[in-house]
Amino acid sequence: MQAVAGVDLTIRSGEVVALLGPNGAGKSTTLEILLGLVQPDQGSVQLYGRSPVEAIAAGQVGVMLQSGGIIEDAKVRELLDLVAGLHKDPLPVADALQRAGIADLADRKLKALSGGQKQRVRFAMAIVAQPDLIVLDEPTTGMDVESRRDFWASMHAETARGRTVLFATHYLEEADAYADRIVLMRAGRIVADGTAVQIKASVSGRTIRATVPGADLAALAALPGVRNVETRGDVLLLQCADSDSTLRHLLANTPAHDIEITSADLEDAVLAIGAEQESLA
Amino acid sequence: MNLDYLRFDIKRTLRNRRVLIFAVLMPLVLFLIFGSTLHSADSEGGISAIAYVMVSMAMFGSMNAAMSSGGVIAMERDGGWNRTLRLTPLKPQAYVATKVVLSLLLAIPPLVVVFLAGMIVGHVHLSAGQWISVVLVSWLGALPFAGLGLVIGYVAKPDSVQPITGLTTMLIAAFGGLWLPIEQMPHAMRTIAELTPAYWTGLSSRSALSDSGLDLHALLIVLIWTVVLGAIGLSRFRADTARA
Repeated sequence: MQAVAGVDLTIRSGEVVALLGPNGAGKSTTLEILLGLVQPDQGSVQLYGRSPVEAIAAGQVGVMLQSGGIIEDAKVRELLDLVAGLHKDPLPVADALQRAGIADLADRKLKALSGGQKQRVRFAMAIVAQPDLIVLDEPTTGMDVESRRDFWASMHAETARGRTVLFATHYLEEADAYADRIVLMRAGRIVADGTAVQIKASVSGRTIRATVPGADLAALAALPGVRNVETRGDVLLLQCADSDSTLRHLLANTPAHDIEITSADLEDAVLAIGAEQESLA
Repeated sequence: MNLDYLRFDIKRTLRNRRVLIFAVLMPLVLFLIFGSTLHSADSEGGISAIAYVMVSMAMFGSMNAAMSSGGVIAMERDGGWNRTLRLTPLKPQAYVATKVVLSLLLAIPPLVVVFLAGMIVGHVHLSAGQWISVVLVSWLGALPFAGLGLVIGYVAKPDSVQPITGLTTMLIAAFGGLWLPIEQMPHAMRTIAELTPAYWTGLSSRSALSDSGLDLHALLIVLIWTVVLGAIGLSRFRADTARA
């Protein structure tokens, strides 16, 4: 059985990348291959020019797993002391607890924590190594809305320090709000890769709505980047693949006014890409 | 070995007092029961019977304690802890060494308690040199069982690790001559005995009491068992990356 295939991805230093896709899209498997936990049948992975195992041994990677991976009968501080001790140049544990927002939980046993609190412990475990790259698998699973917002605020502080972040999520709004770049996965393949804005545009483009008295519909429809033209009296609806050039033309060559540009939201885009994939299959 | 990891595991172990107390009580009670049936004049292979039983029960206690790490490891694996470790710079060799050292530390209380009982209650008389040598060699005898605990921890699931450990301990103790002196075993059983690590740990420990000096051949076989079991544990750790 193939979980992922043909995943070709280069992530540059300092990027915040979301691996977005429904459950079963192959996000976790992709991360496992990236981290050297699973060997691919074909293909290779390099982290900072070396193998995942070497990059991990050098302490360049901090990982926050989706579930498990902790010791329930240990106390939070003990677990962090241990993980810090396994790295060469760790953050002081008190700082890691602070940044993860769990300084007040330091002396609690893990089994006494809620799911969201455990996620914060896992986050602290990921940043205590002071890694160059942070990999997070569904980091906000089990968090309520408020702790989710707090979590991303902590995450933002880390990206502001210049760390590269790769996170898997099936929450569209998280990918939209926090990632510089979204890699959309479906059925084990990458189906789109770009900024949220690019992904939205790649599907439906944008719609320009403008009042254009005496417009030459045929000429507008023939413009490069215009897919479709509709009229509602003097109001035109232009569906554009390249709304920028259409807009330039409208402003330069027509008496267009009351111009509005709207794009489909990311959800529409993702659904459309999904539908497209299914019709190809 | 990783000292932070060892400290972490020691703290957790010390919190689990019931396990520690049980590890000490069982060999102590067994020694007192078996020992009370013996007369001080009895002897087996040139060693007083009471000293023989003392060494056997001390070995049994340290073997039990050393193997108890298997249960903890099976639980840890079940919770995906190994994945976490694999994603840190911890070297597999350091992991195995840490777990083996932890087992060696766990083996100390039962050894000390049974030997003290032998000295005080059983009136076993040995020279200072013999005491030191028997304690040290018996302690080394926990090494293969530290390795065995590690291997069982990687083979068993949390709900099967207790029965597997219990059965293994019993078979090894019985066939290895910790319950019944090797010298009293039928020939076929002795042949099987030689296939267990307990036979060799018992042999080397008792040799510390005899006049003919330490049985280096037995000690060597103890170390070979340790290396083989440790290597299996190491390869299992490397292979184990399952999701929780």
